[in-house]
Amino acid sequence: MIRAILRAQWLSMRISRMASGRRGAVFSAIVAVLWYGFWTFLAVIAEALTAAPELRAQIETWLPAGLLGVFAYWQLAPLASATMGASLDLRKLLAYPVPRRSLFLVEILLRITTCAELLLLLAGAGVGLLRNPAFGGRLSLARVPLAMVLFAAFNLMLAAGLRNLIERLLSRKGIREAVALLLMLVGVLPRLLIVTGVGGRRLEHALPTVANPVWPWAAAAHFMFGLPAGSPPVAAAAVLAGWTVAAYLFGRWQFTRSLRYDLQEAQATVVSAKDRPFAERLYRLPALVLPDPVSAMVEKELRSLVRTPRFRLVFVMGFSFGLVVWLPMMLRGRVTHSAVSGNFLAVVSLYALFLLAQVTYGNAFGFDRSAAQLYFSAPVAISRALAAKNIAAAIFIFLEIAAVAAACTLLRLGISAGKIGEAFLVTAIAALYLLAIGNLSSVNYPRPMTAQRVSGGGGAGRAQGVLFLLYPVALLPVFLAYLARYAFDNQIVFYAILAFAAALGVAIYWMAMESAVSAAHNRRETILAELSRGEGPMVAE
Amino acid sequence: MSDSAPAIAVHNRRKLYGDKAAVDGVDLVVPRGCFFGFLGPNGAGKSTTIRMLTGLIPPTSGTIELLGMPLPDRELEIKQRIGLVPDESLLFDRLTGAEFLEFVGRMYGLARSVAGERAQSLLDLFELREKRKLIAEYSKGMRKRLAMAASLIHHPDLFLMDEPFEGVDAVGARLMKDILLDQVRRGATIFLTSHVLEVVERLCDRVAIIDKGKIVREGSMDELRGGTESLEDVFVRVVGAGREFHELEWLK
Repeated sequence: MIRAILRAQWLSMRISRMASGRRGAVFSAIVAVLWYGFWTFLAVIAEALTAAPELRAQIETWLPAGLLGVFAYWQLAPLASATMGASLDLRKLLAYPVPRRSLFLVEILLRITTCAELLLLLAGAGVGLLRNPAFGGRLSLARVPLAMVLFAAFNLMLAAGLRNLIERLLSRKGIREAVALLLMLVGVLPRLLIVTGVGGRRLEHALPTVANPVWPWAAAAHFMFGLPAGSPPVAAAAVLAGWTVAAYLFGRWQFTRSLRYDLQEAQATVVSAKDRPFAERLYRLPALVLPDPVSAMVEKELRSLVRTPRFRLVFVMGFSFGLVVWLPMMLRGRVTHSAVSGNFLAVVSLYALFLLAQVTYGNAFGFDRSAAQLYFSAPVAISRALAAKNIAAAIFIFLEIAAVAAACTLLRLGISAGKIGEAFLVTAIAALYLLAIGNLSSVNYPRPMTAQRVSGGGGAGRAQGVLFLLYPVALLPVFLAYLARYAFDNQIVFYAILAFAAALGVAIYWMAMESAVSAAHNRRETILAELSRGEGPMVAE
Repeated sequence: MSDSAPAIAVHNRRKLYGDKAAVDGVDLVVPRGCFFGFLGPNGAGKSTTIRMLTGLIPPTSGTIELLGMPLPDRELEIKQRIGLVPDESLLFDRLTGAEFLEFVGRMYGLARSVAGERAQSLLDLFELREKRKLIAEYSKGMRKRLAMAASLIHHPDLFLMDEPFEGVDAVGARLMKDILLDQVRRGATIFLTSHVLEVVERLCDRVAIIDKGKIVREGSMDELRGGTESLEDVFVRVVGAGREFHELEWLK
């Protein structure tokens, strides 16, 4: 049964890879090599550190904290990136007589796709401990791998349970954005406490608490160390096994609840468009300055995106999560006068710009799916469709910056009007470069996205990979302007470089648009096929 | 552009996927004002032909003229005069029916007020009156009716329809047929594919049957039926001849 599901998924992915061609496959391989290369490097460092006998005391002190970090990353990283990994598409599988335990097992295995890099890291640390004579050398051959496997299983099952719970919570309007915000705040809270000094002062006191073997990460560490010394680490093993069983029960419980959950019913009450005269007037605003059909397409984008759960979540994340992520650096920077502190609003705005890529300009036709063929069958040049989508994205980018500025004002962060204007200017210039890249990725790496899935779709696709790699390049002109201001302490130099960056950005945007239009014309069949593509029995998010 | 030119003139059209021909040297002429049925078994090349006619996929070779204008040279002018109902949905799920129709109208160059008025009329005509309902909540039949309404909003001269009645209930299908027949009476040309041969038999003046990418039979309805056979008999004989029915032992 499981084999049949996995085979169906593999075939679906194979067809997708064939459709995307050799270039896409090469690019995917490069991204994967870079990402996993980085984590392999970290794993090698972890191996070297944990293999050093002279560091025994430090390893015993810090490994529980390190495993806590692994635990936190494993559970929270999918939220921060808004990509929840692969999962079973239960709507497709429920019709078949598949035992639920088999489905749950596959769901657990799929959690590996979210944090495979952590398995690398754990393996590195584990090998190091095995080689370290201070921890028993060969005597630890059974202990260390077993502890690692149990710790990984605990994380996998907890992550599966949390994912199912979060998916259900996030599918309900009203609490969706609040829950997302809460989860993100929880994720960032430790960092905030440390950086503001509140947590820093208590860190030394907290460390023994974190290392208490009642916690799964500490129990795993104690089990691996063979603590207490001189006797078998039965207590630590029992605690770790207990946590693993608890994670299994939680994961199974949440999975069963998701099986019974009626997604359509939950969303049926939330998707209806309401008569909102004010919103209606806002949607109509582009028609005041833009001619049809561009204005019609911008209006359509505004309406559609506002009603798309996935977009709304990312938009809220832009000014909430972004603010909280960078706030610690700003607060710390007030003492050290760092660049982040001085340009906080611009930094958060640029982060929001990056987040919006996955739901707007990075994969512009993603939510349209097969309906994108209208842009190719209607008497409208594709350049206009891309321009309309860029204008709609720009409107949301500016609304996002306004929301960030409003949040900063509410939090009394002392952002001046000049800094607000500067943030708008800098983001607009960076947006020119990113929109240019986005147009190219939208036609070269289109991916269908599902509006209803709050964490679904092309977010994990190559389009985002392109943006991820090119984002620093796109920010380079703006970064140079800031660098010049810092070096010369001169506003004129700053704005002169920004003006040059803007002119260059317009030229690049123009050239990229021509290239994207040409690619759209030549690849229209592939684009429409990609956007119409269904998924296998699993969904990659 | 000549008004006497056929609505559709396809010459030696081919579409290759690798070394497999989805459409293999199709020659087709559809006169203006004709209700043309394009039939074929699954995978015969019907949808590929329609997608080539609409410019959604580029052909490998051959020429196409629609309403006397060559594709792709005068693509935008041609598209302006075509009403399309594709087999896959071209509806934007996060719009209401009214918003979608107004959007399509404006894409085809109608003023917003005109597009809005026509959208309301079409929603009434196709009994899609739940104005607050998003398209995501529409049933399959409602989606087809809306797609058909969208194809009408700019009053095209040529309709290209891929399985327009699929999933539509009897009342809706009747309404759609009446509208299409009325359009033909007013001079429009309709090129439709359907697996429901009774519908094709009742509506169409001319029929072509495509099998394995080639046109295997073409003519008026009377020519095809030869006076004694039904369209279904002809169709099965032309594309299904030689296929034996094997009983599955395990299914007995």
